[in-house]
Amino acid sequence: MANYFNSLSLRQQLAQLGRCDFMDPAEFADEANYLKGKKLVIIGCGSQGLNQGLNLRDSGLDVSYALRQSAIDEKRDSWKNATENGFTVGTYEALIPTADVVLNLTPDKQHTAVVNEVMPLMKQDSCLSYSHGFNIVEEGMQIREDITVVMVAPKCPGSEVREEYKRGFGVPTLIAVHEDNDPRGEGLAIAKAYAAGTGGHRAGVLLSSFVAEVKSDLMGEQTILCGMLQTGSLLCFDKMVEKGVDAAYAAKLVQYGWETITEALKHGGITNMMDRLSNPAKIRAFELAEELKDIMRALYEKHQDDIMTGNFSAGMMEDWADDDRKLLGWRDETSKTAFETTDISDQDISEQEYFDNGILMVAMVKAGVELAYEVMTSAGIKEESAYYESLHETPLIANTIARKKLFEMNRTISDTAEYGCYLFNHACFPLLQDFMTQVDTDVIGRGLGLNDLGVDNQRLIEVNTSIRSHSVEAIGQVLRGYMGAMKRIV
Amino acid sequence: MIQFRQCTVALGDRYRLGPLNWVIEPGQCWVVIGANGSGKSALAATLLGEGLIIDGEADLSASRVAAVSLEEQSRLIQREIERDDSDITDTVNHGTPVAEMLAETSQNPAQLDELIDIFGVRHLLDRGFRKLSTGETRKVLFIRAVTAGSDLLLLDEPFEGLDVDTVPKVEALLARLAQQTTLVLVLNRADEIPDYTTHVVRMDTGAMVQNFSCENVAALREIVRQAAGLRSTDLALPPPEETADTRLNDDGSLISLKAGRVAYTDNVVFQNLDWEIRPGEHWQVKGPNGSGKTCLLNLITGDHPQCYVNDLTLFGIRRGQGESIWDIKRHLGFVSTGLHWDYRLSVSARRVIISGFYDSIGLYQRATEKEEEIAQNWLDLLGLTNKGNAAFSSLSYGEQRVLLIARAMVKHPPVLLLDEPCLGLDEANRILVLSLIERICEEGATTLIYVSHHLEDSISAIRNELDLGAREAA
Repeated sequence: MANYFNSLSLRQQLAQLGRCDFMDPAEFADEANYLKGKKLVIIGCGSQGLNQGLNLRDSGLDVSYALRQSAIDEKRDSWKNATENGFTVGTYEALIPTADVVLNLTPDKQHTAVVNEVMPLMKQDSCLSYSHGFNIVEEGMQIREDITVVMVAPKCPGSEVREEYKRGFGVPTLIAVHEDNDPRGEGLAIAKAYAAGTGGHRAGVLLSSFVAEVKSDLMGEQTILCGMLQTGSLLCFDKMVEKGVDAAYAAKLVQYGWETITEALKHGGITNMMDRLSNPAKIRAFELAEELKDIMRALYEKHQDDIMTGNFSAGMMEDWADDDRKLLGWRDETSKTAFETTDISDQDISEQEYFDNGILMVAMVKAGVELAYEVMTSAGIKEESAYYESLHETPLIANTIARKKLFEMNRTISDTAEYGCYLFNHACFPLLQDFMTQVDTDVIGRGLGLNDLGVDNQRLIEVNTSIRSHSVEAIGQVLRGYMGAMKRIV
Repeated sequence: MIQFRQCTVALGDRYRLGPLNWVIEPGQCWVVIGANGSGKSALAATLLGEGLIIDGEADLSASRVAAVSLEEQSRLIQREIERDDSDITDTVNHGTPVAEMLAETSQNPAQLDELIDIFGVRHLLDRGFRKLSTGETRKVLFIRAVTAGSDLLLLDEPFEGLDVDTVPKVEALLARLAQQTTLVLVLNRADEIPDYTTHVVRMDTGAMVQNFSCENVAALREIVRQAAGLRSTDLALPPPEETADTRLNDDGSLISLKAGRVAYTDNVVFQNLDWEIRPGEHWQVKGPNGSGKTCLLNLITGDHPQCYVNDLTLFGIRRGQGESIWDIKRHLGFVSTGLHWDYRLSVSARRVIISGFYDSIGLYQRATEKEEEIAQNWLDLLGLTNKGNAAFSSLSYGEQRVLLIARAMVKHPPVLLLDEPCLGLDEANRILVLSLIERICEEGATTLIYVSHHLEDSISAIRNELDLGAREAA
């Protein structure tokens, strides 16, 4: 199997990378009707699988679950979830041959194995759908010519996909049709109906491509979502302890700080996150972010380049073949870091205190999001894709760190993300050592401690303008508007 | 023991409670009364140390307070949600089991054991706390509070959600506790005011307007009942935007369930349930906590996933044949504690009512002028004329509840399902809501399905009864 992206001409590569268009709501007038009366079979029953299934069924579609024989015999969680919710459950052999659409919602790493097992059972002219494009783009999985291949990826966790549907709304959803597998030209109709079945059409559907989804997704998770947050956690914690800040406090500031800071990001972009700081703190954060961007730019570019050429996936798949030797080794190291092994304090930290005492963390988020976005867009990825894979997803991972710290965060995100995260961390941690020698507790741990919060007007205006005029803010406002404003227009 | 001196407390963004002048001595039994929105629950929250004191003084240091309240319930459920990492582990999480929730606060295993039997929750010990019914959750909260070894027991609407059999047991338990500990009870219903009440606080628009020792409990109950009578009962329901065109099933029924069954891997809630609802036949559904009343209503609304594996036909549509859930909800109006909990948005009160036209939680369409007008009429009817723009989440529980009832009624649905609608309502609102329900039944276009534990909340138009408790015995 060869890397699919590398097999394309430059012209095709550019076309697919740059595809991410917000669809007109009018295109969904037919809602899920195209799939009415057809049999949808979902493989596996985890969080996305169950919640998407519940929505699709409530939209009038015929949904059942195909599980491994062992899962059925042992009455595992997946079997319980499906049956307690009133779904028909069967083995692959029993259900796949009857399916018009097979929904592959299994973890990325299992895709090759699952698809190889399922494809021979799929009936003629059926459809296979994915929620992530790695298998097709990086592994170059070849799907039978008569099968339509589509992707439908809600941009929120499974539980939110369900909650928003129940409310009568939905979550923004990305769809794509695999160019090589659209034999009857019905891929788009299927993807649209599937997205509408999950309620996505109410919040907004983006028409993208497998290529754009993968190349931006990999970049985002490696460099900002997991990478920067991991490196940042370790650097900030170690610095605070070095300078005499109570270790338990430092651990708490970092663990919950990312979540608190990125909550502001989620609602109002970088602008709102920076506005949460006092004026002098904002200017400091801005300057730190600028410095960080200069230092890290080459590293971000390297990551994007390796993703584009396929070097990243090739390296990772080598480690898969080596029984994940490197991955498991790095995971073990992470479990032993000082940050990970320090218990957090009971002391209450107010929401504002996370900002005031976490100026460096704010700067790191700003730098990471902007760099990831800038490098992605410079590599041909469209603004919309870049936004979703940089800014939009950051709060979700920050939330995971808040609940589970780094070791567990890494263990529960996809292995692909975890591997990329370690690669980034290995390079970035030493890269920022010099920078960190200049850092003191005024920007991480204790706050500026100023009595006078006055600033120079011109400087403040300059900083504010720079923040607000960044491309990620412009596209962010538009896209957030589709998600939130629908709830606010009325 | 607890003292408030000229105290003003800030709760949330703008809510101010006070001035409070209150001294609670050990062994007293205080009852807090007042209309919905008067600040009773806010006062209870203050006793738990919430809010910020912006004037005067409060001394809570001498006491440990244990609480049974919606806020406490909310806090625990929120904690469960936060602990639920199913999105990242990609499994579905059943949450903390009841046994663990109880062990968390219990100081005395023998006492815990006794209470588990009094409340009849032994069979729930392994179940996830989040999965319990309204009444079952209440019972667990009660046990937690009583076994926590506190100095002061704070009970906000202690009887709400409890079935008919449990109420007398709880009354007896409280009478015993009144001898041993200090009690503060927040109550909406006159009949719940206990004989052993020693002192009373009356709240009105965020201020403590009366604070006295109680000589005559019967007289106190009368006062509370009188307050209810001040509302006019001459009601005209605002008409709907358009009349619904509702098909009947082939056999002339609106809803038909044959051999109905709801079961989970560890228990069967009910089975072999046949039920038919014909136009104009109003029903009351009764049964002990956990017997499946809410499950049954949720089967009908489509909110319970097992509606797809039952022989259930509504409005000419057999469930599980390719219909969308919105095709069903179009013909229904619904209120329940579950819906109330799900409606955790800061949408305006007006929009909450309008969302009834769209069966949504929150509003995702632009409302028509007619809908806006109808919503304002409902606000007037509920005595919330000037609260149309207030954020739903900023209103008191009772105010939220009447809005949700209006939301359920706004399209004069062919079938109206009310699952304990009066939970959290003061006497005045309770009488208003009961009158509204009677009126909508009289109109003839709506068939009612009603769940309530309170005998005094009966609706005269109801002639049919389904008792899920009697079935279990059979």
